[in-house]
Amino acid sequence: MASASERSYTRRDTVMFLVCLALALLALVSPDSWGLGIAAALRETVLAPVVWLQARAEEGRSSRDRLRLITAERDSAAYRAQALPSLLAENERLRQLLSLSRRTSSPYVAAEVLHQAQATDGRTLLLSVGTRDGVAAFDPVLAPEGLIGVVLSASERTSVVMTWAHPEFRVSAFTVTGNAAGVVAPFAGADGVDGALEFRGVPYRDSVPAGTLVLSSGLGGVYPKGIPVGTVTGVIREQAGWERVYRLLPAANPGSAAHVLVLVAPGGDMARAFPSDSAVRAQEADSVERVRLADSVAQAAPR
Amino acid sequence: MIHARASRLQLAGVLLLLVVLHFYVRPRLWGPRVSPDFLFVGLMLYAMRSGPGAAALAGFLVGLTADALTPARFGAGALAHTVVAYLASWGRAVFFADNLLVNAAFVAVGLWIRDLLVLVVSGTADRPLLAELAVYSPLQALTSALFALLVLVVFREWFSIRLDA
Repeated sequence: MASASERSYTRRDTVMFLVCLALALLALVSPDSWGLGIAAALRETVLAPVVWLQARAEEGRSSRDRLRLITAERDSAAYRAQALPSLLAENERLRQLLSLSRRTSSPYVAAEVLHQAQATDGRTLLLSVGTRDGVAAFDPVLAPEGLIGVVLSASERTSVVMTWAHPEFRVSAFTVTGNAAGVVAPFAGADGVDGALEFRGVPYRDSVPAGTLVLSSGLGGVYPKGIPVGTVTGVIREQAGWERVYRLLPAANPGSAAHVLVLVAPGGDMARAFPSDSAVRAQEADSVERVRLADSVAQAAPR
Repeated sequence: MIHARASRLQLAGVLLLLVVLHFYVRPRLWGPRVSPDFLFVGLMLYAMRSGPGAAALAGFLVGLTADALTPARFGAGALAHTVVAYLASWGRAVFFADNLLVNAAFVAVGLWIRDLLVLVVSGTADRPLLAELAVYSPLQALTSALFALLVLVVFREWFSIRLDA
């Protein structure tokens, strides 16, 4: 038979458990704005030291790679500096040839992604920049490959991004060929979101072949025009002869993104910031040719 | 009395070390979804040595931290961690909780149940839920359990206390 103290001990434990459970359920059913507000307040106060610690760890991890890259670039730059004027002229000529300008003209803030252990990391991402860096809600977030999502809430030092994997994500888009427009949303199959995107609202007459790149259209005012969203992989469904819904392979993967750009004053056409495959291949071929020439010159030069 | 206080301080020191590992070392490790969840390891090791009420409170606080840093569905982490920590504390009475392998198994199973609860409460669809529970959660559970085993082997004496005694 349990003693009175043991019974009280058990009752106290049960009460504490039920209180915690009730608070957790209250947080679950509360409006999203409350949850985001509480989360931001916690990150700015009691959790500020751990967020700072994680941001330093991310910096440390990437700085080793950056140091290696910078050392290699410095060595190459020192070697190539001898032929700088001719290189500049050649660069300008190639840019004109490829119709390229600077990769992005919109002001942006570079941010580190602070990945978390929770299973839902990927639907929302925590960034190491906040309002003091100029980040605000509804700023688009990009990876080098394409669109990641949009800033959902920003506090002073951190911000939360709603990625394309979030069930509420939507972006107005069009095909790179310009023959079809629609809305891109997370792929909602029979069993819900599935790690892919779907391109909805495309008129039945506008057939989009597999492999077509889909870009943001700029409609709606949140995402600038020309950001790669995904590539068409096939038709998901057709609706009564008036609409086709296409499946897209997303351009960027939020789960593996370590660094992103937040466009703090989005606007204009971003297509030039994401050169087409042919332009990238031309740039790569040009770089390879320069290295080959530099190597041959180095070998020929007297030691 | 002095010995008990010293043991509690030592235990608190190890738990603090796990917090630092979670936020400073974990980002430098391999993939974020399979690296050990040091915070969860600390929670389970604490829960298995304390009363169910204190374990539930600790679980709630750890869950709230997870929710603040991953607000995909605010409250899901708090709910999952509260339930898992409470069950772990009760489970100690049922299993041989002094065995190192049982401790590690508690961490692995607890992490898998935590992920299951978080994903279900967050409204994750069937297919990604199955992928998470069949691939990433078991891998993270394995790495976390192995790390818990290492902690218990290294700090075995310090973890031999009962906080609710």
